Amino acid sequence: MIPVTVVAGYLGSGKTTLINKFLKEAESPIAVLVNDFGELNIDAELIDNQESLTLSLTNGCVCCKLSDDIGVSLESLKGKDITAVIIEASGISLPINIANYGLSWPGFSLKGILALADGQSIGSLLEDKFVGYTVKGQIEQADAILLNRSSGLSLEVLKGLNENIFLEEEVSNYTDLLSAKYYANHFIGDSPKEHASFQSSIFTSNKPIKRDDIKKYLLLNPNIQRAKGWVCEENGIYSLLQMTPSGCNFSPSSFKSQTRIVFIYTGKLSPFEF
Amino acid sequence: MITVFPAKSIITMNASMPSAEAVAVRDGKIIETGTLESLQPWLSKHDHEIDEQFKNSFIVPGLIDPHLHPSMAAVLLPTYFITAMEWKMPWGTTPATRSPTEYDERLKEALSKPTHGELFITWGHHNLWHGPISRSRLNSIDSKTPIVVWNRSFHEVCMNDAALELLEIKQEDVENATQIDFEKGRFYEIGLGYAIQKLNPYILAPEVFKEGLLKLKEVVHFGGQTTIADMAVGLFDFEAELNTQAALYENEDTPFRVELIAHATVMQKGNSVEQAEELIAKLPERNSHRLNFGKRVKLFTDGAFFSQVAQLMEPGYIDGHHGEWLSTPEQFEDNARVFWNKGYAIHVHCTGDLGLELAVDTLEKMQDERPRFNHGFTIEHFGLSTPEQIFRLSKLGANISANAYYVHELSDIYSNDSVGFERASSMARVGTSFREGITTTLHSDFTMAPAQPLMSMWVAVNRVNEKGNVMCEEERITPQQGLEAITINAARVLGLDHEIGSIRAGKKADFTVLQENPLEIDPLKIKDIEIKATVFEGKVFNIKTQ
Repeated sequence: MIPVTVVAGYLGSGKTTLINKFLKEAESPIAVLVNDFGELNIDAELIDNQESLTLSLTNGCVCCKLSDDIGVSLESLKGKDITAVIIEASGISLPINIANYGLSWPGFSLKGILALADGQSIGSLLEDKFVGYTVKGQIEQADAILLNRSSGLSLEVLKGLNENIFLEEEVSNYTDLLSAKYYANHFIGDSPKEHASFQSSIFTSNKPIKRDDIKKYLLLNPNIQRAKGWVCEENGIYSLLQMTPSGCNFSPSSFKSQTRIVFIYTGKLSPFEF
Repeated sequence: MITVFPAKSIITMNASMPSAEAVAVRDGKIIETGTLESLQPWLSKHDHEIDEQFKNSFIVPGLIDPHLHPSMAAVLLPTYFITAMEWKMPWGTTPATRSPTEYDERLKEALSKPTHGELFITWGHHNLWHGPISRSRLNSIDSKTPIVVWNRSFHEVCMNDAALELLEIKQEDVENATQIDFEKGRFYEIGLGYAIQKLNPYILAPEVFKEGLLKLKEVVHFGGQTTIADMAVGLFDFEAELNTQAALYENEDTPFRVELIAHATVMQKGNSVEQAEELIAKLPERNSHRLNFGKRVKLFTDGAFFSQVAQLMEPGYIDGHHGEWLSTPEQFEDNARVFWNKGYAIHVHCTGDLGLELAVDTLEKMQDERPRFNHGFTIEHFGLSTPEQIFRLSKLGANISANAYYVHELSDIYSNDSVGFERASSMARVGTSFREGITTTLHSDFTMAPAQPLMSMWVAVNRVNEKGNVMCEEERITPQQGLEAITINAARVLGLDHEIGSIRAGKKADFTVLQENPLEIDPLKIKDIEIKATVFEGKVFNIKTQ
């Protein structure tokens, strides 16, 4: 199965710039699904072949324009020689909705959600009468946030929504952003690439889950360092699960998502039996 | 040759002569309305015949549905209906099916007929009435015919073994997908997208699409409509939709015309909005007698009202979820500006009050930058709104095209499960919109509501919901306003009021012939008025009664 990473963020948050870097620094062929070719700034000598909706690059990467239906775009990638897919979410998408394609489209799996924020504008966007909620959701739903042009104020505001923030200057190798380990290490506050012993696993389900079953599972696996995700409980209740070494907390969520929990752990986990 | 149609009464919707006893027609146009005596100056000087077939009926202007989707209808209509509610169709009424046993019987009965194709698709299944559906249940009904059950909501399909085999959907391909339950044969949300992709060769096959459009032709006539608007050409495939409509509708036996409105995003296809505008500007070159593009364009703000993804202002939805935007507010404004500055009438799909707020704010900005009069900026759907927004819309010169059927189907369930009674009862606030003097029309958005303008009028006049309760009587409109909404106001909103929408000298001879007077009948019976015939450009098209 091909891993899918979602790159989310509002207009002007730097998604295109980041995707350009992914394409240039790719160590193995990847596919990126973008909203618009126009803004991608790919050197002519890197382009191997161009059809109406697909650009093939000389380094083996492909770049596809998203059709209205993301599933159709994913389907068109099957059989191509690629190791990962990056989907650029549109500015008004909630990343969970896009991530569901990674979870649900046959042949693909979800790696994670990376949200971008521009430090200069994020404060006012979060207050905007039309898109405030959407931008807040983009930050809250992400597994990691990459903050461009940070200011002290914006960092503080964002930390209230999502603790897992790193700054542009901390990133030395952009392809690291596609590795689950990066999220894992960053998740628990250490610098990337150290603590290689941490691993991450994503549990997903389309059936309602009992809160107590999750708590029992966490007790049975004391090697789980952190867990975070959305849980669809019985009776149509949706919650946000956050587990740290100091405890486990469920808070109500207005996002209607399927259950998706990221576990960061050492050693081995017992099988998920929810 | 002049043809004169006498009638019990002709309701003209022309305020200068609101009623008449006869109308004279020549070459598809109205010569004059009045009485047989007042028409004499024409009749004494020209050949004429008196056609008395409507002398015991009422004639109103040809009814207009200013917003529906032929391509969506064309996908749905070829499927076999098994539904919890009764659906009246020209080819017969689908009876209400209200229990799981009844559902299985209807399905068996349908499958025993040899008329279905390679793949049998049925639409209308609803868990609440028909019980949970599964692969094994379908296999036990028929394991040989490939069966696809499409849910009433369109959000889920279920297939039997034969269908999975025909579509080559294998367990190993889909087992990790969380919105596909292969064991039960169920595909929903994103899983549905996967199934639809496999189904597309069947549901969008040219001959099936044609069959659907031909069925829509009957539906439109049956509803008494002589003009409809395709309010977003290209939902599936622009060229196929336009060419198939031209091939099937541009002929003498089609009793209606289609006003075509381009979908800005479809025309854009990754190009700039300026390039899209250039393409749209050229579309009238493809106009023919019945199919017409004007200087109009369709834009969208928020998500669908039926799916509860309309964008709401505070206090939002009871369960705290939020709606969806269909583009960023910045993109919406940029697109609106390009079309506004080029002089287009902009039709904006808005369903929630926050979606509407974006449209109103944008219109206000456009008026500040470059004022226009009689500009045709139209709010489409008009689910939730505030009185203050309607006041602003009035000052800014906007029109409103409302889907009043929301009140009938959704006001009860949305009171309890979505937004609460106050806002649910006042959805489609057309009373206020008439009081503010806004040109207001009603549409079906078919297949969202039945393509029957008299049904839309009935809902707006009575505001009776499916439980039989009157919802917000202050927002009811009078029968006179209701009939204006589905005739002259619809014509104004489509920019066609110089040609259609009322019965007066010089306009096209489009009539709908009714057995009762919709302005005098008990308002609760408006939707049941028998439609005897329509007249399209002078030619009579009778409607068979079932």
